[in-house]
Amino acid sequence: MSADSEPIRTLLPASPDLAYLQLLHLADSALPIGSLAHSFGLESLVSSGLLTVRELEEFLRGYLEEAGIVEAVFCREGFQIARGWDNESSPVRWCEINEQLHAMKPARESRAGSIALGRNFLTAVSALGDFSMIRSALEASARASGTRASVIEHSAAFGLAAGALELGEENAVLAYLHQSVAGLISACQRLLPLGQTAATRVLWSLKPKIIETATRSASSNIDDVCGFNPLLDWGAMEHAALSTRLFIS
Amino acid sequence: MLTLKEARSAPPESANAATRVNSSLHLDFEFDRTFGWTVLRESVQEAPLKVVRAFPVGNGSALVHLHNVSGGLLGGDRLSTSVKVGERASAQLTTTGATRIYRARIPAAPAMVTTNITVGQDGCLEYLPDPIIPYAGSCFSQRTTIHLGSGAGLFWWEVLAPGREAGGELFEYELAEMRTNIYALGRTVAIDRVRVEPSRCAPTSPARLGHYRYWSTFYICQVGLKPGTWLALEEQLRQVAQGFCPASEARWGISILVAHGIVCRCVSVRGRDALSGLHALWRAAKLALYGSEAIPPRKVN
Repeated sequence: MSADSEPIRTLLPASPDLAYLQLLHLADSALPIGSLAHSFGLESLVSSGLLTVRELEEFLRGYLEEAGIVEAVFCREGFQIARGWDNESSPVRWCEINEQLHAMKPARESRAGSIALGRNFLTAVSALGDFSMIRSALEASARASGTRASVIEHSAAFGLAAGALELGEENAVLAYLHQSVAGLISACQRLLPLGQTAATRVLWSLKPKIIETATRSASSNIDDVCGFNPLLDWGAMEHAALSTRLFIS
Repeated sequence: MLTLKEARSAPPESANAATRVNSSLHLDFEFDRTFGWTVLRESVQEAPLKVVRAFPVGNGSALVHLHNVSGGLLGGDRLSTSVKVGERASAQLTTTGATRIYRARIPAAPAMVTTNITVGQDGCLEYLPDPIIPYAGSCFSQRTTIHLGSGAGLFWWEVLAPGREAGGELFEYELAEMRTNIYALGRTVAIDRVRVEPSRCAPTSPARLGHYRYWSTFYICQVGLKPGTWLALEEQLRQVAQGFCPASEARWGISILVAHGIVCRCVSVRGRDALSGLHALWRAAKLALYGSEAIPPRKVN
């Protein structure tokens, strides 16, 4: 194996305890990447009366079964790219999967939101140490996007960082899904009469579904994974037309 | 991609007992410089896929009705259509009625429909089929790939019905899978990956269709226009959609694609609301992009 194709290890292999703590950190909603500013269409759904506290848990189950599994599959792909990183083909592959996921999202605001989080996430991780692979990925995305904003999807970025830090693929996918659902519930706390106890209960009860989604994602791949969320898509597309908005998307 | 001759002589597919029909249709539209209109230069067809002929449309376009003379699709059917719209050519495709997907006789053998479309430089394709109706127990998989050249235009919609509503049949099909890739100048501008399996995941989930029953999607593309043009059209079409039926009956979402186009999505209680809305959006977009009226295809049935 040539030096170029050798996986770039930016850290000594993490101890299980350190890896666990790093994963908690990266999946924490307090990570300053801007996730609290996005509802990804929930604001329109609430505003139109299509989403209330009563439907929230069922809605999020549907979200995990469709959009969630798509993001999980791309998170895995990002992880795999990191684990097999070489400086020649991996940057190209990295850009391809991000463009692919980007084109799968019909609503422009959600597309923009997802890549803003992805960019901010990788930038935040790159500031935590001397991670040459993360830097290469950021540079490759900037080159490929030209004058456009770099296309770095949050799920793929999360997988890439988890792979670079050797945090474990299954744990990375679980953590990604958990933080994304937690983010949506957090948005609903600001949009709906949803108290902290009820919100906590919803997230707690969704954990088996998160595990099921992560497990299903292992037997899929980025070319065959499907998602059917018409009302969520509608909410995300309609958000641009809301006259009063709490969220960017 | 196999030629028709190669496809006919390929034994594994035709020998497969699970394959009921293996049929191809190829249409090649060209702009006739002498007369200034589009002609159907070549049409290669195998039953049950048929076209009779191209009909001239007032704007110089050529209209072709796609027939499935078997009346619908059965499990195991494999239908392949390829359409080439040449440089400056303008074609309109429609169906003669709803695409009926019958109950699969062979378990786990979906009816497969593959469509490959190429629209050349400054060409335009309006592909306006009737709804897809998946019957109870049916299994359907569709793959559509569209390549757009410089300046090429596309108006393409699809409507997925919940089943034979009149008979009280709602979401009793096994599988409806629709995969779409649209490329402009080689760049991916839209990917759709839809799989509806009502027995596994309820379509009536509040994240899916809720109380709505029909799902429609409409792609409007013209390669080369600036993002600002698309943003303005997005807003214009949103205004048009506000005049449609009440939100309790149908909801319309409109958004620009990553480049070169717009996608409109609709969830509706009734199919006719989706179709009337699609026609209205088509008219508005055609006028905005081409400065000409959209001419609804004359139906032969």
